[in-house]
Amino acid sequence: MKNTVLKIEDLEVSINENKILKGLNLEIKEGEVHALMGTNGAGKSTLVKTLSAHYDCVVTNGVITYKKKNLLDLDVSQRANEGIFMSFQSPIEVPGVNNSYFLKTAMNEKRKYAGLEEIDAMEFLKHVKEETAKFNIDRKLLQRDLNDGFSGGEKKRNELIQLLMLQPDLILLDEIDSGLDVDAIKTVANVINSMLDGKRSILMITHYDRLLELIKPDFVHILNDGKIVKTGDYSLALELDEKGYEAIGIKDESK
Amino acid sequence: MKVNEIKGLNLPNKKDEEFLKINLDALFSYDFKDVQTYEFDIMGLKTVDDEKSYESVLFDITRSIDNKQKVITINKNIAEPIFLIHKIKEDETFFTNSLKIEVAKDIKAQVVEVFVSSSKNSAYSVNRTFELDENSSLEYVKVQDFDVSNSFIFNSYVEQQESSTLDFTNFEYGNGFILNNFINNINKENITYNLNGLVKLKDDTNCSNLIKTVHNAKSSLSNIDYKHSLKDNSKAIFKAKSIVNETALFTKAFQNTNTILLSDDATIFAQPHLEIYIDELEASHGATTGSLNKEQLLYLESRGIHKELAYEILLKAFEEKIAHNIKDEIIKDFIETYERSKYV
Repeated sequence: MKNTVLKIEDLEVSINENKILKGLNLEIKEGEVHALMGTNGAGKSTLVKTLSAHYDCVVTNGVITYKKKNLLDLDVSQRANEGIFMSFQSPIEVPGVNNSYFLKTAMNEKRKYAGLEEIDAMEFLKHVKEETAKFNIDRKLLQRDLNDGFSGGEKKRNELIQLLMLQPDLILLDEIDSGLDVDAIKTVANVINSMLDGKRSILMITHYDRLLELIKPDFVHILNDGKIVKTGDYSLALELDEKGYEAIGIKDESK
Repeated sequence: MKVNEIKGLNLPNKKDEEFLKINLDALFSYDFKDVQTYEFDIMGLKTVDDEKSYESVLFDITRSIDNKQKVITINKNIAEPIFLIHKIKEDETFFTNSLKIEVAKDIKAQVVEVFVSSSKNSAYSVNRTFELDENSSLEYVKVQDFDVSNSFIFNSYVEQQESSTLDFTNFEYGNGFILNNFINNINKENITYNLNGLVKLKDDTNCSNLIKTVHNAKSSLSNIDYKHSLKDNSKAIFKAKSIVNETALFTKAFQNTNTILLSDDATIFAQPHLEIYIDELEASHGATTGSLNKEQLLYLESRGIHKELAYEILLKAFEEKIAHNIKDEIIKDFIETYERSKYV
């Protein structure tokens, strides 16, 4: 039997004292790909932000167990070093911090956390070169400052480089496909699919069926008003795409 | 010797607008055991009497103790910057030093001065005059690293001829009581005057920068940019006044200061001030104060970089902006690798 990576029980989360998640349950096992869909304001982003310990999210009830640890006891960087990676919907620009320096620091922090030796600049460059070459990702992004002045597509590609280098165990993708053209979406899918090794798990938020076509989810969850109201397989995403939320009995709160 | 007992010296009063918030009493009433002129270890520098009359009384402190001024004339292009290192080691002593740097027509020059003290209860009063001839350019970088219990007064007076450029960058690192005073009357056309500073303070350090720039001639640029990074109980004062007179059409006059307060007790008093008498110009002034950007912190942490290191990385990025503006690569390297321990 596959091990459970993440178990969320009865999770309630508020942002600015507004209750967004209202008793959410979800279990993700090793190697599984879960897609999270739902109307605007349903709480999708709040869920992934909560998992990565975003300061906006206040957990008022519930338990989150990650690799048998109480996730809520871990701070942002500890969660990252334990293998949780959240790809930001809008990656933050950090002028003055070189992208390559940032990534090497992040890798070495993770290695230190795991009790491994740090890698030097040469090893780092070699590793980056190998990984980016596989997917034809432009390495010039690494010479620039972190996300500074990057286009939307460049920011997302930069998130992919980080994914490849940090090799997380649980990948949270918050609309990684937003603002990307078809070719860029293919690159995203290629990177993600290459990382699916039967152990690594994914929780992805998407509105776009194209990405789901390319990365076939094992489970599709529909989130509405802070709770998962429907779970199915890939066919649920297809049904949703065809008929819309109302036809499957979900009221769009944002309308 | 007490500064406030020097005959004929009219010291600034703390009631003067310019010196509000700066308490000079402790320095001026302190009884120093000795007074000395700090001598350069360069042979054969020309010496002149400094007969100029300055509009700021702060210049008169050095002059009333010793009005001799050394002169460095740069009349050919030199490949490497000139480094002048001042080390104050004697306790209880009031030092003075006065230097004029002249850059000849069409010449490019670079000068770095480092002021370090490891003494107790000493003070250093320094006057600098910069004379830039037509179409010359000078990159001048000052590093101040004075120890606690020491005081430092630095006065800068600039005279630029047409089409000359002065890039003036200051690094305020020390722990003492610091007062910098910059005056530039822009009386010629097409002048560029960039005045930048990083004020990085901790403990009970007190650092003030008084900046006065007057545009009297057409088509010149003054750009003042200061970053403050303030820890503990430190206090910084930034008062920049730029005046653009009627004769100074098409001037560009910019002032900017950004401050990051790293403790609840750190204080910044920032007052960018523009006084403009014409319409045909570009001008702006701004001051920001805050802590580090929490979204950026979160982003770094979310990739496994622990909070303290993320904080350090972002602070360094903020502080390095000033060093990045330095044009000369040798000076840039010098600043990037600067360590106080090499000089004390």
